[in-house]
Amino acid sequence: MRAPFTVLAAVGAALLVLPQFAAPYYVTLMLPFMAYAVVLLGFNLLFGYTGLVSFGHALFIGVGAYTGAVLTTRFGVRQMEVVLLAAGAAAAVVAAPVGALCVRYVKIYFGMLTLAFGMVFYTFLLKFYRLTGGDEGMRMLRPSLLGQEWAGFSKTAYLIGPYYYFSLAVLVLATGIMWRIVGSPFGLCLKTIRDNPVKAESLGLSVPRHRWYAFMVSAVYAGVGGALLATPTGNVDPTLAYWTQSGNVVFMVLLGGFSSFFGPILGAFAFIFLQDAVMSVFPYWRLVFGAVLAALVIAAPGGLMGLIGSIARRSPFEAARS
Amino acid sequence: MGGVFHAAILFLVAAGLQLVFGVQKIFNLACGSFYALGAYTGVAAVGYFIGRGGSPALFIVPLVLGGLAVGLVGFVVERGLLRFVYDRDETFQLLLTFALVLMLEDLIRMTWGAAPTSTGGLYLGYGQAHVLGTVVPVYNLIVIAASLTIALAMGWLLTRTAFGRIVRAAADNREMAEALGVDLRRVYARVFTLGTMLGTLGGALVIPATAAMSEMGIELIVEAFAVVVIGGLGSMRGAFVGALVVGVLRSLAIAVYPELEMLLIYLIVIAVLLWRPRGFFGAAAA
Amino acid sequence: MILEARDVRKSYGAFVALDGVTLAIGEDEFVSIIGPNGAGKSTLINVLTGALELSAGSVRFRDRDIAGIGPVALARLGMARSFQLVQIFPELTVLETLQAAVVSRLGLSAKLFSSLRSDPRVQADAMEVAALFGLADRARTPTRALPQGDKKLLDVASAFTLRPQIILLDEPTSGVSTADKHAVMEILVRAARQIGLRSIVQVEHDMDIVFGYSDRIIALHQGRVLADGAPAAIQADARVVETVIGRRAAPC
Repeated sequence: MRAPFTVLAAVGAALLVLPQFAAPYYVTLMLPFMAYAVVLLGFNLLFGYTGLVSFGHALFIGVGAYTGAVLTTRFGVRQMEVVLLAAGAAAAVVAAPVGALCVRYVKIYFGMLTLAFGMVFYTFLLKFYRLTGGDEGMRMLRPSLLGQEWAGFSKTAYLIGPYYYFSLAVLVLATGIMWRIVGSPFGLCLKTIRDNPVKAESLGLSVPRHRWYAFMVSAVYAGVGGALLATPTGNVDPTLAYWTQSGNVVFMVLLGGFSSFFGPILGAFAFIFLQDAVMSVFPYWRLVFGAVLAALVIAAPGGLMGLIGSIARRSPFEAARS
Repeated sequence: MGGVFHAAILFLVAAGLQLVFGVQKIFNLACGSFYALGAYTGVAAVGYFIGRGGSPALFIVPLVLGGLAVGLVGFVVERGLLRFVYDRDETFQLLLTFALVLMLEDLIRMTWGAAPTSTGGLYLGYGQAHVLGTVVPVYNLIVIAASLTIALAMGWLLTRTAFGRIVRAAADNREMAEALGVDLRRVYARVFTLGTMLGTLGGALVIPATAAMSEMGIELIVEAFAVVVIGGLGSMRGAFVGALVVGVLRSLAIAVYPELEMLLIYLIVIAVLLWRPRGFFGAAAA
Repeated sequence: MILEARDVRKSYGAFVALDGVTLAIGEDEFVSIIGPNGAGKSTLINVLTGALELSAGSVRFRDRDIAGIGPVALARLGMARSFQLVQIFPELTVLETLQAAVVSRLGLSAKLFSSLRSDPRVQADAMEVAALFGLADRARTPTRALPQGDKKLLDVASAFTLRPQIILLDEPTSGVSTADKHAVMEILVRAARQIGLRSIVQVEHDMDIVFGYSDRIIALHQGRVLADGAPAAIQADARVVETVIGRRAAPC
């Protein structure tokens, strides 16, 4: 289902003015949402559009986050733009060999390989503490945005002000680029590979090569998202790369709906805010989330977008659109 | 020898995993969670036993019974959740087991809290023995022996009993088995319950040597995963060999270069997946 | 000669599917491969199109040995095929399926940042083939919603969209009712003429179709070429009539 322009415009406007109206707590909650939204846009290119489920995407989130930490603390690089570019590049560099190895396998073997690679990275982060700070992780210093230090701003003011809008801009840019990608000839080829690899090959489309490209693009997105994720907390640690983090990514995509373009973004939003809502009344959010995931898998595999779609289909709204 | 003990425990969990995968083609991510469940229940059972005046020398009895009993929860899980996704894509099945991981993790935390619990030094009451030049707690030897016995029992069950034949038939060719009149629902329920019980038993048996901790389930799954990849998905012999390889290698790695530990295991997993995806004993890879 | 097979063998362990097949397809030929079930027809197609590796012998496309180069490279070299069990992209529309073939042919498959919708070549080309195959009115239908016959047509149409030099069709009219078979063949032949495709190889069971359209017929039996010649010669060949055509079904 493609969200109509009016809905998008309304959402966009709401996002723009949110910091003026909402409590700072909720504004800062939007930051991990936006970071994960970027990650998920890339992840869904691999999952929804190419049909590959990676259980190791936390690897690239970790690469991105640690790139941010390393650049700001060890190399004195403080410009966020540079950090984001470096995070994406680092993720691509790691994804190239890993992806080349993994994309020749499908389904459960692909999942297992990606999970193994993710855990290799996690173990590396954990054990080589001289390089990575071990289980305590590393700090990430506040970066400058658009050349400005924003030194006069307190941490909170920085986060709910300039950093919020910066993240939003990155998210919008990332969304626009991904929209272009899925509507490109490349995007079409991914869908053919997802639906029927044998037929796609008979039409002259190399299945491993295109999966590899999709893998790398999704890794870049995850890396950028990882760097965005690390800045508000100012700290990165190995749990960012643990396999359950990869599981959460898959959960978010399923929650939002993987067969639609905006589903993953919705999924990230729902996950972050649902987690917050549950945690404030009930410490056992995993129990609730596990139940939600089970319900989704059993009853609503199309996720929230799927549910919205089936409601919309019964309304004159949808009839008017077609 | 610690490696062999660890291998013995890993075998139990992996055997459960292999059984479920072989028959139902589902990779049960929650096997680690069942392992944790068995551990905590085992501690509770022993605590109850001792508290009621039970003899410390017999602590292994409530431990094992507790571990096995809680494995019956597998039946509830299978009937209540898993059976709805048998006809779905394996990704969704995997995600359902991930949902189980999440739920069980918090259920355990709710019931027993986040602090580690253990049976203390009870197991030392069985004394120690000298084996191959090292000193090993007799308890460990008991567990290794038990695990071996179970391995043999599983082998016997699968090859020499009617149930075992049905299970293997269902694993080989689901449609054919159904066509021959096998009630797959019952087979699945029993297989999954058996698989769960193996996992919970493993968790219970490991407790005396370590302690029940909230992360133990999540950490174990990656090791169990390594075992079944190396041994070959769906194969019992694979579980045995894989468990030995992982258990022993891990001990060696810890002894020689602690940082390596699991890293070495994961690298081997990747190597196996790349060069021989079917592992030692698995069926041909996709 | 566009496509040649020399002493091709394919075995699965002890089972020999192809036992020394030699044939040659020339430019401008419509060749039908016939044979009873199990003769090895589909295996032959799979070997010729690079989907299966041969155990022995060689296959040459335009005098180039194609052992091991695989279906992707072959498609790029100018060979296309359709499948016995119809192969489509369930979530894509008819138009998108054909667009994918155009994208592949034009080498655009790695273009991440250009808009598909605004590329006139892709649109025009895909619609042209859709029209040729009578699918234009269903261009925006998801292929999983198509009736079986249309799916088959689409399978063939998408292969045609590659504008190959030779196309191999594995039972293009199977699953289609007898009344419609001729309609399908007419569409096929007309489309081929339109796009300048002159070499067609098909595996076919319906003898009316075979004798109605072929320039040459190759009869396969137990993995070997039983006979290879013009329709008249094949019809007169007693062995072929016996094993493949059957006396009662032989056209008069």
